[in-house]
Amino acid sequence: MNAKLLYKQILFYVGIIAVWQVIFLTHVVPSQALPSPLQVGQLLLKEAADGSLPYAIGVSMWRLVVGLIIAIVGGLTLGILMAKIETANQTIGSLILGLQSIPSVAWVPLALLWFGPTDAGTIFVVVAGALFAISINTHSGIKNIPPTYIAAGKNMGASGLQLITNVMIPAALPYLITGFKQGWAYAWRGVIAAEIIFSIAGLGFLLNLGKHNNDISQVTGILIIIMIIGILVDGFVFKKLEAKILARWGLLK
Amino acid sequence: MTKLQAKNIVKHFDHNGNSVVALDGITLNVEEGDFVCIVGPSGCGKSTFLNIIAGLEQPDSGEILLNGKPISETGPDRTMVFQEGALFPWLKVIDNVEFGLKMAGIPKDERREISRRYLDMMQLTKFADSYTYQLSTGMKQRVAIARALAMDPEILLMDEPFAALDSQTRDLLLVELQLIWERTKKTIIFVTHNISESVILGNKVEIFKNRPSKIKKEIIIDYRRPRLTEDANLQKYYHEILQELKSEVMARSKDDLK
Repeated sequence: MNAKLLYKQILFYVGIIAVWQVIFLTHVVPSQALPSPLQVGQLLLKEAADGSLPYAIGVSMWRLVVGLIIAIVGGLTLGILMAKIETANQTIGSLILGLQSIPSVAWVPLALLWFGPTDAGTIFVVVAGALFAISINTHSGIKNIPPTYIAAGKNMGASGLQLITNVMIPAALPYLITGFKQGWAYAWRGVIAAEIIFSIAGLGFLLNLGKHNNDISQVTGILIIIMIIGILVDGFVFKKLEAKILARWGLLK
Repeated sequence: MTKLQAKNIVKHFDHNGNSVVALDGITLNVEEGDFVCIVGPSGCGKSTFLNIIAGLEQPDSGEILLNGKPISETGPDRTMVFQEGALFPWLKVIDNVEFGLKMAGIPKDERREISRRYLDMMQLTKFADSYTYQLSTGMKQRVAIARALAMDPEILLMDEPFAALDSQTRDLLLVELQLIWERTKKTIIFVTHNISESVILGNKVEIFKNRPSKIKKEIIIDYRRPRLTEDANLQKYYHEILQELKSEVMARSKDDLK
């Protein structure tokens, strides 16, 4: 990121906080509906100091990561199966297309009935949200591998599982990363939704607690934290990974 | 000693629902240490023939014998240098070169030693830790040759490996490939549509007839090496092959006009 862009963005966010402070001071909006930036900042600092915020972030991220790992392993398996066996694509593939259209939050009632208000329930929502997008992208990634990569791999003695792990998965990586990115986005929405509805820990739970206690600072603060985590994961983890892969695969102009 | 025998190889293709004969009984004997060039008009099935030798495609009938034993699948005893190199962009140059050795389960130290040797032979030592996107097309083909040689194959198969190179790079690699051939004593089958390439490289040039393709003629070129592109003494071979191919191309366009 160049310095000019950084300054522009910093200025923009400082501006937003300033406008927010002005609105608060002029009482245009009642203070039960809008806290001041300072109140939100103080609350977040307090929660950071007493450990409740880091704990909530840790719980949410743990659920997300476990769910994503399951979804990646499952999605790769399903996607490769669909790419290799046409019947699997025509049957399972069509079902996955349908399941993928279900918003992640819609899995919450089912998770609650199957697993109760447990970690497993939240992880289920994460998996259900991410699995299908990852499967679909894996399928198209494998389908789009240049045939000479496969021929070269076979020619040098790779076969079966060796060919899948050493040639097909790395060759499909530019597509796979798109799948992981989509999967993460759905999973992140899913984990927060599930926590709001039935969990007793995590960022979604803190959000719900804020609502219960009529604590507008808490609600606003947690929303900001959720946004920041989204920006960090998207902008740093995925964008960097994607740029590196595209450059190395010679796909970047 | 006969290294490879192709016996009456027949291959059909499905073209808009019609079965087209691509290879109509190709029979070829390759002796140990031969440098065989297969030259023919584009679309004559010469690459298909090479793929069948590599085991990447199956013939409809006929068989390939390597050291007297029939082969049907791909194997590291017949490594291929592809037209576009087909290097793996996710691996460093050195890891590309030792890919096949890794698949064969050879321990890391031994792999490194072998790959270093071939990188050195192809003058790539400096680029061992580069990724393929950082290399020129000519460099990539050097890596592809090093990768194929590292497997120490019985036969090296080359499918128009220099087709995408600029002429200076190509001339350089034509000389280098002859030196490597003399040094390693490998048996090489090299497919090209470029007549002068076939004359410079081959001690035998097989001229492929148009579809349905057969071997029209074999020309033996017994001439000192390394041969250079500009060598006037090679002209007579060039013209002999050109005459054979011209009639093929004419016959083809007559067919197309019908």
